[in-house]
This record gives sequence, C-alpha cells and structure tokens, in this order.
Amino acid sequence: MPRRCTLVPMLMIIMLPFLLTFALPARAPGDTLLKTPFARIQDQARGTKVRWYMFGGWAHVNSWVDTYAAAEMKKRHDIDLVRVPMDAGVFINKLLNEKAAGRKTGSIDLLWINGENFKNAREADLLFGPFAGRLPNVQKYVDPDSITHDFGFPVAGYEAPFGRAQFVFEYDTARIQTPPKTIPELKAWIMAHPGSFTYPQPPDFTGSAFIRHVFYAVTGGHEQYMAGWNPDLFAQKAPLLWSWLNAIAPFLWQKGQTYPKDSAFLDTLFSRGEAAFSMSYHPPHAQNLILQKAYPETVKTFVLEDGSIFNTHFTAIPFNAPNKAGAMVLANFLISVDAQLSKYIPENWGDFPALDMDRLSAQDKNRFQAVDLGTATLKPGQLAAVAVPEIPAAYLEALEQGWKEHVLDK
Amino acid sequence: MKHTVTLILLMLFFAVPAGVLVLISLASGWRFPDVWPAGFSFSGIALFLQQKEQILSSLASSFVFSLLTVGVTFFMCLVPAAVFARNDFRGKTVLEGLLLTPALVPPMTFAMGLHFFFIKLSLADTLPGVVLILAIFSYPYMFRALVAGFQTMGEHYRICARNLGAGPFSILWQVELPLLMPAVVAGGSVVFLVAFSEYFLVFLIGGGRVASFTGLLMPLLSSSNRSLAALLTLIFLLLPVGLFFILDLSLMRSFRKKGMA
Amino acid sequence: MSWTNNRAGRLVSGLAPLLLPYLVLFCGGIMLTICQSFGVFTPLPHAGAALDAYAKILTDPAFFSSFGFSLGVAMVSAFCTMAAGTFLAYQVWQLPAKLATAALIYKIPLILPHISVAFVVLVFWSPSGIVASIAHSLGIIQTMQDFPNILYSGWGLGMVLAYTLKGTPFAMLLVLALLVRFDVRQIQTAAMLGASGVRIFFSIVLPRMAPAMHTSFIILFLYGFGAFDIPFVLGESRPGMLSIHVYNLYFKHDLARRPEAMAILTMMFFFAVIFIIAYSKTVQRLENGVRKL
Repeated sequence: MPRRCTLVPMLMIIMLPFLLTFALPARAPGDTLLKTPFARIQDQARGTKVRWYMFGGWAHVNSWVDTYAAAEMKKRHDIDLVRVPMDAGVFINKLLNEKAAGRKTGSIDLLWINGENFKNAREADLLFGPFAGRLPNVQKYVDPDSITHDFGFPVAGYEAPFGRAQFVFEYDTARIQTPPKTIPELKAWIMAHPGSFTYPQPPDFTGSAFIRHVFYAVTGGHEQYMAGWNPDLFAQKAPLLWSWLNAIAPFLWQKGQTYPKDSAFLDTLFSRGEAAFSMSYHPPHAQNLILQKAYPETVKTFVLEDGSIFNTHFTAIPFNAPNKAGAMVLANFLISVDAQLSKYIPENWGDFPALDMDRLSAQDKNRFQAVDLGTATLKPGQLAAVAVPEIPAAYLEALEQGWKEHVLDK
Repeated sequence: MKHTVTLILLMLFFAVPAGVLVLISLASGWRFPDVWPAGFSFSGIALFLQQKEQILSSLASSFVFSLLTVGVTFFMCLVPAAVFARNDFRGKTVLEGLLLTPALVPPMTFAMGLHFFFIKLSLADTLPGVVLILAIFSYPYMFRALVAGFQTMGEHYRICARNLGAGPFSILWQVELPLLMPAVVAGGSVVFLVAFSEYFLVFLIGGGRVASFTGLLMPLLSSSNRSLAALLTLIFLLLPVGLFFILDLSLMRSFRKKGMA
Repeated sequence: MSWTNNRAGRLVSGLAPLLLPYLVLFCGGIMLTICQSFGVFTPLPHAGAALDAYAKILTDPAFFSSFGFSLGVAMVSAFCTMAAGTFLAYQVWQLPAKLATAALIYKIPLILPHISVAFVVLVFWSPSGIVASIAHSLGIIQTMQDFPNILYSGWGLGMVLAYTLKGTPFAMLLVLALLVRFDVRQIQTAAMLGASGVRIFFSIVLPRMAPAMHTSFIILFLYGFGAFDIPFVLGESRPGMLSIHVYNLYFKHDLARRPEAMAILTMMFFFAVIFIIAYSKTVQRLENGVRKL
C-alpha cells in the first residue's frame, strides 16, 4: 500500500527535467541586419554555413543545388551551402514548434516556399524581414510589380523571388497522337482509356494545381476568385469540382483507389508507361528528363485551352535563422543573372527566370534567348496565351481539405 | 535434392533482389516489358559522383551516430546486465519485461512526446539528441545480449580473479570484458543495424540537421531515375557487411593471440 | 533490516545506469505523450476540455478503419513472417555444414533498412515491375493493365510483402538460435520408430521452436502495427496506416491538432502493452496446459 503513495511524487520527479523547460528565459532579439549595407553582410557571411531547407522529391533540382549552386557559393562567397530535403508543410510545422518552445536560434537559414505555406508562415509571424528589397539583384533585375502578391497574399518583402513556374501536361507522342485540348475533352479521354490517367494526391503542389485547373474550368473561370476568400462562393462552386473528380475516379489508374503521393512518383509511372500523362510546374521538365534518359525522346508537353496556372516561387528566411546574413547572400545569389540562367537550361533544371528581361543588359538578354529549351518544351508565346493566375491561398487550402473529404474519403 | 530446393528458395528471396539492384544501378532506362535491361548506362554512377560529397557526408553522419548509439547502449547496459545476471530479487521477471518494452512498443509513442521538450532543451537537431533517442529504443538488444553473456560466463572467472587479488574494475576490464566480447559484438551489431537503418526517429529528432543516409535515400525512392536509389541501397548493404567482416576477423585474431580459439 | 536495505541499495545503484534513462526518457516520454493528449504541456495552450482530442478521434470513422487496417496488416505480415521464418530456418538447419555458409545470404534483408526493402518490393511488384515483365514474356499477361493489382489493392499487400521480406531473416535468426542447441538424436530416434517427416516436424521440432516463434511474432506484429518507414514508401492513399495518420496530424496541420496526434499515440501505446501482456499470458497458459497433459 505505501508503494502506491510514492507513485505520484515519482512521476513528478521523472517529469522534472521537462517541467523546468517551461521556466527557461526567452532572449530578446536584436536584429540590425536589415540596416546593414549589403557589402558588409557579404563580409559577415564569408566562411559560414547556410542550411537551405527545400522540397527534396526532384532529383534534378537536388542535383542543381548540390553541384552548381553549392560550388558557386563556395567560390564567390566562401559559403558552405547545405541542402536539407524537407516538405514545406513540415518545415513550417518545425518553425511553429520552435517558436512555441521559445527557441531563438533554430537550424534553418533559408526556405524554399510559396503559396499557402508562405501565408501560414506570415500569419504565425515565422519569417524574418522585410529583406527582399535589401538584395541588390532584386533591386536591379526584378520588376517590383511582379512580386507584390503570392497566391493572393501580400509578399511585403518577406520572401525573395527565385523562379517562375507554369503548369504543363506531358505525353508520349509514340502513344497518343493528339492530346485533349480542353477539360471536357480530357474527361472524355480518361473515360475512354480506363486505368491510364492519374494525378498526384493533393496537397502535393502539382496535384493540387491540377485540381485547381479543373476548378477554374468547371466553375466558370478564375476571375471570380481573385477578390479574396469568399466562403459562400466556395460552398456554391466546390461541389461542381467534387462531382467532376468523382466521375473520373473509377477510370483512373488503380481505379482511383490510390493516388501517386507526389509528382516524382507520377513521373515514374509515366516513364514506365503505367500512366499516359504526367504533369509539371516546370515547362522544360520533360526536356530535362529526356536529357537524363528517364523519358523517351518522343515525349512532348501541352497545355489546355481552359488555362494554365503560373506562379512565382520564392525563398524566405525564418525568424530564428542562425545565419541570416548567409541566407541573404544565398537568396541574392539565387536571383542573380548567372544562377537564373543556369537553372533555366533544361539540362540543369528548366525553371523559368523570375527576372524582368527588360532590365537586363542586351548581352545578358541574349544569353537567355540562346538557351535551347528543346523540342519537348512549348514556346513562351504558347504558354503566355493560356496563362492564368493562382487562386488566393485560402481557396487552395479549402480545396485540398475538401478533396480529402469529398473525393478521397468519399 | 531437398537441399538444392532450400538453397534456391533462399537465393530467390534474398539474393536475387540484391542482384536486381545491381542491374538497376547500371540501367536507368530499364522498362516494362524487358526482362533484361535493353541497355546499360553509367548515368546512375554519374549522378552519384556529382553528389558524392553530400552522399559521403550523410553516410559518415549515419555511421557516427550509429556507432555512438552502440557505445551509449553498451555503457548503459554493462553494469546493470551483470547485476541482473547474478542476482535474484523479487519482481525481477516483471522488471526485465518492463526494461524490454522500449524495443517493442512503437517508438513514435514516446519519441513524439519527447520531441517538443527536446526542442526546449536544445537537444532537437543535435547529434546527442539523435543518439539518445536511438539508444532508448535499441538498448534492449544490447541488454539481452549482455545478460546472456554474463550468464554463460558464470561467476568462476570473477571469483578466481578476486581471490588472486584483482579489484572490481580490473576484473571487469581485464577478465570479464574480453570474455564478454562475443556478446558485445552480437548485441552491438543489432543496435548498429537498428540505428543505421532507422529513418523516422532521425528525421524527427535530427530535424534534417543531423544528416542520415536513410534521409538522403528516402526522396530518391520515388524518383524516375532509379539507378541512384539502387546504388545507394547497395552501399547500405556493403558497409555493414564490411564492418562486421572486419570485426569478426579482428575478434578471431585477438582470441587466437590469447590462445582461446 | 539493514542488510536488506544495503542489498536493495546495491541493486538499485547497479541498475541505475539503465533505470535512469529508462525512467526519464522512456517513461517520461510516454507520460509527456499522455499529458499532451489531454492538452497539458502542448506547444499551444489548449483551449478545450481535457478529453476533446479523444472525443474527436473516437467519433471519426477514418480512425477506426485505420486502426483495423494497421491491425490487419501487422497480423498478416507477422504470421507470414513467422511461418516463412520457421520453415526456412528448419530447412537451413538441416543443410550439411558445407552448404550452411552459402545459406548465410538469408541475412541480406536483415542489413537493408526498411525503406530499401520497400523499394525492392516496388521494383518487383509494381504493374510495370520485374514480376510483370516476366509474366509478360511468359505470355501470361498482354499489357501491364492485366497484371493483378498487388501494391495498391486497398489491402496493404505491398506492405505485407515488405514486412515479410524484411522480417523473415529475423525470425530465422531467432529460431536457428534455438535449433543449434537441439539434439538431432531426438529426430533420429523418432524416425527409427517410424514417425513421418511431417509428424516429426509438428510433434518434436515445432514445440522446441515455439518460444522463438512467439517472440518473433510479438516483435514483428508490434513493429508492423506502429512503424512508419514502410507505410511511408508503400502506403496507399486509403485506408492509411495509423502511423501515417499520426504523422499527418503532427506535421501537416497547425499545432492546434497536436493533442489528437498524441491521443492516437497514447491509444497505440496502451494497445501494444495490453497485447504483450495478453499474448504472453495466453502462451503461458497454453504451455502449462500442454505440460499438465
């Protein structure tokens, strides 16, 4: 019996080390970095290490960061660039955790981010800034009007542009002569070819973008959503999307029982012939995989007449980044002409530049024009003709949540 | 005849997959319906060479935290295992059962509870944090091996050494430890493998800052170029095999030197 | 009295290097999980009642389907593993010494991490995989759509395959450890007395291997029930394994849903403990029953 009574004190003793953590003092931040001239920041960052947390599912992107970006950062700024693969939702959660735990020094220096993750990070006050305006390359080469909003959320200098994406479908001309031109044609094609179409499971960005395209097309265009979150409008329109997606579900790969977990997985299905179409946010992505010999040379890309979503992706610095100076130098390097050109080349990556071509010197402009985007990539004119903007982030989150509820768990 | 069937079964289940990995690492474009790759290329190896620094550093990191985990579990278990093997006391069976539970219950259940407090204590995202979590989940293997080791050794060596005037420390160090070596190696190899191949706990507590080979491998598994993933898996296979081979060899030699084998 | 205290003190101090981390990290960790499931010590102050998280989970049908699915996958894979491991171990044990070295290849999946084993399963069993290619070249299937749905059937077969491949060598190791101490003469005697091979296996060898089989079943069942690595690679969109469910609640949402993740973990922990106790009690009773007979 006396043993019972000792149980509670004993538990308290076990928990003591953890209880004490609640009493740890919080340090006051003292950031003068935003007032420091950039040349001084560069000196300060010399010889340091920068950890860049980014989505790790694209082998070619990893390879570009590990080779080109890391080597150039070492050569130009004597900075060791360490890429850490992590999904954007997960690192936002990590920062939320650290903020709640009162950690003033975290482990992430730079993030690759946009859309709803940026919005969530800003709303929880997880980002350092505004720093983008302090970067010389942003001042010199970027059109400020092109980076005011990210998925409808004001950027306000809390992220620096890194690249531009536009959604394309990929298909193999050896298998399909004429791909569908519109969303209704796509639906007809899927139903006529059971088992050969699928899309990555939202919240994967590419899969999430696919359902947004359908949303625009079956509810009468994107314009109505641009004014910002309107729950009544969403409640009225979303069922049209769910019924469209549920109608095709039995005709999907694996009968819609399961979906590829990310776009890399869909690429694999496509390259192995299990899926007839793949999709990407990077128009030259197919060319990149052809050059890597992962896709056959007969692969081409196409867009639907209903529209093709484009967006800008960014880099941002967490509130508790241990090396903010190094992160700023890296963010500045990433938006430099050289880095943007290198990642534009399909062999390296094939991500569109976020620069304003009119601000470049004639010589630099020529360098961009000389890049061979390959036969699989659409011409800039073809892409621009169908470009439509991203939906405000609140819709995106509602769509992803609703997809799980109304399509996956139906 | 019967033995051939056994060997063929074993080959089919366990060696063929390894062989297929070798083929994939040399043939990135191997597709349905080819039973044998249509062509070979070195693109996987080229990717490997391109990223070799990151690969080698995460390999080294995995190696370091796994070895540290072996060390920590060894020091955690050595004396308690001796006490356990040599004493009978009330509740011993229950205590033994309790002490073995960390290897049985899903590690998520305690690791996720600890995570937030590891962040507060600055243990998250550090090597010591990762080693602690791995040790608490893998020590039962070391503990069982050491208890069994002490039991087979019996008390005679210790009593004999004590009668000859050796102190408790030199008994442990000079007499018992060498005799215990096979048990340490057996327990240590399991702990090493458990730590080396763990993905989730290192991801959770290491937060990406403590690099690991599994963390590097994970995103590659769904990539359309399978060569690199296959190549890394092969390295995974060879490294511990090499390590255990060296260990076995040096152990044999040291026993032979002492005239025990 | 002082003698007992002294001895108890010696015991406790001897066990301290293990007891201390066990109590602080393991028991402490579990306590923290339980506390957070009630909304105590959570990163964000918890607004609702203590049992909110449980109420939410226990009214969610998706939780029960995940729970049942995890249970099923773990049960089937642990059973297959135990059966395959025992059978192969018995076969390997009978090999002549010359061939026994070659049989060591069975240890390969023991070394491979779980995620690599999942990768091997993907390479072999996906509709465009090696098994499908072989079936095609043998004329069994015409296109890859004809290949039976193995990885994504909604039954978790891919995970079962991966757990079985990974676990079989482990079960073999445990069973072989018992078999090496087994006296071959028992089998020879039985054979001389006219017992068939099947009879020998079931009445003489199997009871000897039983303890290792039970141990491997418990370990593999609980591992399959709560592990994350293999479902993360091979899991299907639905129904998800519990561990993936917890991962999504923990990482993919804001911190407000933390108590729900912790509540699932708490239930998983108590399920595991109850399972261990119930299983070992049952085995004990069965064995006692056999002895009394």
